[in-house]
Amino acid sequence: MNRLRIFICLLIFTFLLSRFTFHSLLYAEEYKFDASEVEKKPYHIGGYLEFYPILFSFDKNAALYKLNFYNRNMGDTTKQYNGNLQLEGSLEKGISRLYVKTYTNHNNSYQGETTKTTIFEGYGSLKPSSSLIMEFGKKTLNWGKGYAWNPTAFLDRPKNPDDPELSREGYIVASMDYTKSFSGALKTFTFTPVLMPVYSGVNDDFGEVDHLNAASKFYFLFYDTDIDLMFLTGRSKTTRYGMDFSRNITTALEIHGEFSLINGYAQTSVDSNGNQFQRSYNAKNYLIGMRYLIKQDTTYIMEYYRNGTGFNSKEMRDYFSFIDKGYATYMKTDNTYQLNKTATLFQGPYGRINPATNYLYLRVSQKDPFDILYYTPAITLIANVDDKSFSLAPELTYTGITNLEIRLRTIFLVGQKGSEFGEKQNDYRIDLRIRYYF
Amino acid sequence: MVKAIKIALMGILLALPVYAIDGTQLLQQIDRNLSPESFESYRKIINIEPDGRKKEFTYYTVKKGRDKIAGLFLAPASEKGRSTLRLGDNMWFYIPNVGKPVRITSLQSVVGGIFNNADILSLDYAVEYNVEKVEEKSAEYLLHLKAKTKTVAYDRLKMWVEKEKILPVKIECMTEAGMLIKTLYFKEVKDFGGGIVRPAVLETDSPLYKGYKSVMIFAKIKKRDFKDEVFTLTFMPKMELLR
Repeated sequence: MNRLRIFICLLIFTFLLSRFTFHSLLYAEEYKFDASEVEKKPYHIGGYLEFYPILFSFDKNAALYKLNFYNRNMGDTTKQYNGNLQLEGSLEKGISRLYVKTYTNHNNSYQGETTKTTIFEGYGSLKPSSSLIMEFGKKTLNWGKGYAWNPTAFLDRPKNPDDPELSREGYIVASMDYTKSFSGALKTFTFTPVLMPVYSGVNDDFGEVDHLNAASKFYFLFYDTDIDLMFLTGRSKTTRYGMDFSRNITTALEIHGEFSLINGYAQTSVDSNGNQFQRSYNAKNYLIGMRYLIKQDTTYIMEYYRNGTGFNSKEMRDYFSFIDKGYATYMKTDNTYQLNKTATLFQGPYGRINPATNYLYLRVSQKDPFDILYYTPAITLIANVDDKSFSLAPELTYTGITNLEIRLRTIFLVGQKGSEFGEKQNDYRIDLRIRYYF
Repeated sequence: MVKAIKIALMGILLALPVYAIDGTQLLQQIDRNLSPESFESYRKIINIEPDGRKKEFTYYTVKKGRDKIAGLFLAPASEKGRSTLRLGDNMWFYIPNVGKPVRITSLQSVVGGIFNNADILSLDYAVEYNVEKVEEKSAEYLLHLKAKTKTVAYDRLKMWVEKEKILPVKIECMTEAGMLIKTLYFKEVKDFGGGIVRPAVLETDSPLYKGYKSVMIFAKIKKRDFKDEVFTLTFMPKMELLR
């Protein structure tokens, strides 16, 4: 009841803030198109400033609550205040361009106050012709066609399906794009070779250090279908191959898919008594999805993701059961050995954003409901198909004020004991994101 | 005498096809009068709500040939760097934060408001439509257009064209069943230089969004040729380099 009240109050706040506070300021404006508005400058500085408070409600019976807070009482809820600043800058001269994107997070939570700045991207590019672009530095490559997951994004950090459109930190690479256009069934071809060094201090969180890795992507626009073929080889990670596609079927329907094969993937799992098992196998991952817009301006995004590197339901259940046992031992003896062991596993394979095998993603968003422009309510479901647990996130976004975006969202985590979402440390979370672009 | 009249009538009848309006040629002429085949331009797109509130976008556009068009948002700050690309029936949208182009469909709208992607990334009318009928009135033509394929956003168009300048003044966009989706009004004919004389303002309203209005204002339209490789997914993040 409490959470419902908080959600409704914040919803009303969002609505009132957007409708009335800024309305009078905008109403008086007149539009004009001045030539100076489109004058090009050799440099650009921009970004956004964000206020992002989050309220977490704890599930004290959940395994991950026990693992993270076994020695402290957190109460029923905790608040976290985030102030984020994303800065982007670019400088152009002739065929060369420098680009930097930084992200600063100021966080105030039960753990105290921290401020951290990360360089998300920072690279130089050369464009000797419209067919050829060379880039050197830290950048995100964003391979793959999936919206929530990208099993073919071999050189990127994983997306968070709760916020798939957020910027992510890149890796230091040297890359090139060579593009050729044709008339006929094959309209475009692009070849993208990439070199990625992994050494101490350079991309050392990517994989095994002291190796230079090579990857390539081949893009074809063939019979009105986007097709990519890609691979990654080197010794930092095992060799992997992938392909993806995307195509518009009608004026309102797009379909897409990805497939990847990871050679010799090494998986470490644990049983309910803490015995560890290792196996190596060729992991097959795939994703199939669609984006569909109906006449009432409702957009459906649906994806099914098969994560070949994930754990099955029994393996997930065993892991949570091992945490429960470790917690019971701690409560009886004060011995944290088992809990420490589960914590190590959580920092590895079990702590991945999506550690299980079969997932379903469904997002339904309604543009301008009841003819009220710039309001977009949406609901997002992320389900673990095997254990039937899921997260459900209703949200309301308002974009009617120039350069301001307000989003209010609640994420409910639902599942049985031993299931992925049922064992997460929170029952629900409510977040409000007020973002101002400049 | 009767024979002479018959011959004269026969002559008139035989001569009639010479004066019949060639709809396809007329439509191609309208396309060329609206813009050169390859050009660059700037647009301001304004969405206006019933209470007068506005949302504005500044958009740079490049086009080549019959079926290649790309655009870059310059303002507001929240949209800056976003780019769009259309190759025939294929459309993509690039958001810098997302970092890769995603496919979009013609009925979606990257700017909200009444203009959809097909309006913003419009190709020549003659590429997408066949002329079914031309009605000639005193100062204008009325063209009845039918979409060539099911992938075109509006199945039927009724286009009113000013005879003297061969420029559209109004277009009604309809579904296959004849339901009106929106009306486009072409206003304020202006000389952009280089022989380009066309309406500088395009307004639209829709019975589906009563009281709302969207406006496009055109500026700096000029002929310019581009390499084909500019109209590719790889180039979408680099469009600023064209300006």
